Amino acid sequence: MRIFNRIVVILLLAGLVYLGIATVVYIFEMGPYELEDLPNALGFGGLYEGLNGYVGNIESGNIDALDVIVLSAITLLGLVLFILELKPPTPRRVRMQRGTYITRRAVEREVSPLVEQEPEVLQSNVKVKAQRRPGAKVQVGASIRPGEDARSVQSEVQSRVQQQMAETGVPVSDLRVRANESDPRQTKTRVK
Amino acid sequence: MDNDLQLARAAAEAALATEGVYSLGTGRYVEAATYGPGEKVTGVVVGPDEVRVHIVVSYPPPEPIPALAERVRERAALRSGGRAMTVVVEDLEVVRDENL
Repeated sequence: MRIFNRIVVILLLAGLVYLGIATVVYIFEMGPYELEDLPNALGFGGLYEGLNGYVGNIESGNIDALDVIVLSAITLLGLVLFILELKPPTPRRVRMQRGTYITRRAVEREVSPLVEQEPEVLQSNVKVKAQRRPGAKVQVGASIRPGEDARSVQSEVQSRVQQQMAETGVPVSDLRVRANESDPRQTKTRVK
Repeated sequence: MDNDLQLARAAAEAALATEGVYSLGTGRYVEAATYGPGEKVTGVVVGPDEVRVHIVVSYPPPEPIPALAERVRERAALRSGGRAMTVVVEDLEVVRDENL
């Protein structure tokens, strides 16, 4: 979201720079330009007229329900983007205790073999996210053959990972396991 | 600068002397090192307010990883010159049992 916000701000600033340069050119009458021609010169003639009428209608309270919805949605979107921009970024490393961290890759390398030890699991996909509080958020995707009991695989993987993480002390605050049926021809391992 | 290098060397020695530390990490996207004239100490980043030690832990670890990292932090902090000490467990390295 931070990147999206940055793109929006870059486009806005580029527009402002363009508008500013054009305004300076027109204010100082460099060449045969008049300030009142600026909207037409920028190609905003129709938009300017439309916007003028629209703002006039809003001022006089003459707007329909659709406009209210659109304006509210824009305001809400702006508010959401603003809050997301204010939120501090997610840390890169998983915090264990004060002053001690473990990289997400190390947690991944710890969890992945554990998941693949399960006989029904043909392939694993482990995603680790660091959180602002101690502990990692771990999402495990386990590929199993069609027809296998996904629930039992999920619970077995969950308990195995939790037990091993407790032994090694790697803090996992949120562990989610999902077993997906996959075609064995497309997984890392076909037979176990 | 020399002081930073000395500090980095001391922190690296303290970390490597801890049981369960396989080696010092090198960083992933950016090299974790302290640079001096004609020399660098890899695995320790000495900043103005903080010293960060990157370690690779032997697997299986002799004790829970947070406790091991804390022990490294305490040891290295004695030589950090009053700067905040941070330990990053960068990776795990499976150590073969020599008796096998």
